[in-house]
Amino acid sequence: MITVNNLNYSYTDKPFIRDMSFRVSRGEIFGFLGPSGAGKSTLQKILTGMLPDYQGQVQVHGVECKKHKKDFYENIGVDFEFSTMYEKLTARENLNFFSSLYKKKSKSIEGLLEKMGLAQDADKRVSEYSKGMKARLNFIKALLHDPALLCLDEPTSGLDPTNNRLMKDMILEEKAKGKTILLTTHNMQDATELCDRVAFIVGGQIMALDSPHNLIMSRGARTVTYRWQENGEQTAVCALDEISTDQRLQMLIHDNRLLSIHSSEPTLNDIFMDITGRALV
Amino acid sequence: MRMEKLIAGDVKFQRKYGFYFLYAILTIIYITAILAIPQSWRGKIVTLLIFSDPPAMGMFFMGAIVLLEKSQRVLCTLAVSPITPQEYIASKMISVSLISLLVAVSIALAAGKDHLFILGMGTVLTSMIFTLLGMIVAVKIESLNQFILWTVPFEIIGFGPAVLYLFGVDFPVFQYYPANICINMVAGRLPGGLKIVILCIFIAILFGLAQKSVLRMWNRLGGAKL
Ligand SMILES: Nc1ncnc2c1ncn2[C@@H]1O[C@H](COP(=O)(O)OP(=O)(O)O)[C@@H](O)[C@H]1O
Ligand SMILES: [Mg+2]
Repeated sequence: MITVNNLNYSYTDKPFIRDMSFRVSRGEIFGFLGPSGAGKSTLQKILTGMLPDYQGQVQVHGVECKKHKKDFYENIGVDFEFSTMYEKLTARENLNFFSSLYKKKSKSIEGLLEKMGLAQDADKRVSEYSKGMKARLNFIKALLHDPALLCLDEPTSGLDPTNNRLMKDMILEEKAKGKTILLTTHNMQDATELCDRVAFIVGGQIMALDSPHNLIMSRGARTVTYRWQENGEQTAVCALDEISTDQRLQMLIHDNRLLSIHSSEPTLNDIFMDITGRALV
Repeated sequence: MRMEKLIAGDVKFQRKYGFYFLYAILTIIYITAILAIPQSWRGKIVTLLIFSDPPAMGMFFMGAIVLLEKSQRVLCTLAVSPITPQEYIASKMISVSLISLLVAVSIALAAGKDHLFILGMGTVLTSMIFTLLGMIVAVKIESLNQFILWTVPFEIIGFGPAVLYLFGVDFPVFQYYPANICINMVAGRLPGGLKIVILCIFIAILFGLAQKSVLRMWNRLGGAKL
């Protein structure tokens, strides 16, 4: 589906994206996770053929991105990190127009507007839309021609929790239909929940690449925290894989004296800090 | 198919952004003015009015459209769609020429002109030339002020022959100058074959230049330094 080999790119003379290599297979949700300015959008622009002056090999659907023909785009849906609509036309007019430019028959505009909670505002001009509404509208636009590859640049940014949930469910629905999805985000939760694999990106480089599960498991040891009563309330922590050697815990279990016991694992956020030495936001 | 949809979209855009409304008012003003002029003058004035519309308005509107699409980032959407630069340019050219044609025919009818077909053809060809020039200029610049400044030389090139025509100055070499061929067509005179060929070649060259400019603009949307 997507093959990137030794990709190098920079807007200036200073190297920026350095020696990136990865593959994305069909039906996968692949995440680019990194702080602002890391190069996530740049990477998406390269993969969608908008930055043809890169070095290395970048193939999407078997086509080298810098040499794409225009029918390359029949099967790619792009959601930019900003609104890309005619402000004076209504949402419906915009969607009707953009979807008419593709060979494939458009998905139901009505249905998608309904699903994303925009049906009531479909005949409002885009200029009257809030940031979150624009984000949802642009997301719909990327989906309309039913592309095999979706490139979503921070699709959930600016959304309230309800709409965030709605959009994530839609993304998972597209995955269930076999679509390949590139998801750019600096939201650790979204990445953990949606992505089959994530690439940690900082300063134009991939610092780690694996499934969220493996990333979390491979690093920080999981711990167990327990509480009991003894001259007031006491708390202790031990590593999960050393639990059998904790005499006190054994005794507390034996005497049924535990007040509470929790295991906890590091979040993707902790792992990101751990690996890259940088916070996500 | 895609071309029709693109043109329909451009016409809708131009209606929504008030181009048609503005032109309707303009046409009414033109016609009122023409009817107030003594009959003996009317012929040349009507020709001038119709001819000057594409360089004055068509080119300006073309710039406004491209700048708007740039600032609202619609160009990003079009750049990652199956639309080719040729289709993009042709659609803009055809939709803007359509307005010029409507204005020209309305004025010509009101003024009781003959040779409507040649006049219409002349208008469309003039409009093609100036919308293409407008496109070539608009892709290079960022603001409307800049655009207006940059179009000045083209306006002079466009209006030059019109002024000469008004004063009846007629150098033989100038008859092969594209703008002069156009103004003669608008006046209702059928040009010879050579002149038509010159016009077609001229428009083809402009189209090619516009195509190059648009492709460059699209390739630079992402920030590439090409
Ligand atoms: N069009 C551009 N021209 C020059 N530099 C740019 C351009 N777009 C982005 N950059 C720079 O490239 C870096 C990465 O930007 P970007 O890929 O947008 O980051 P992210 O999407 O991860 O927040 C930033 O330092 C940004 O300033
Ligand atoms: Mg970004």
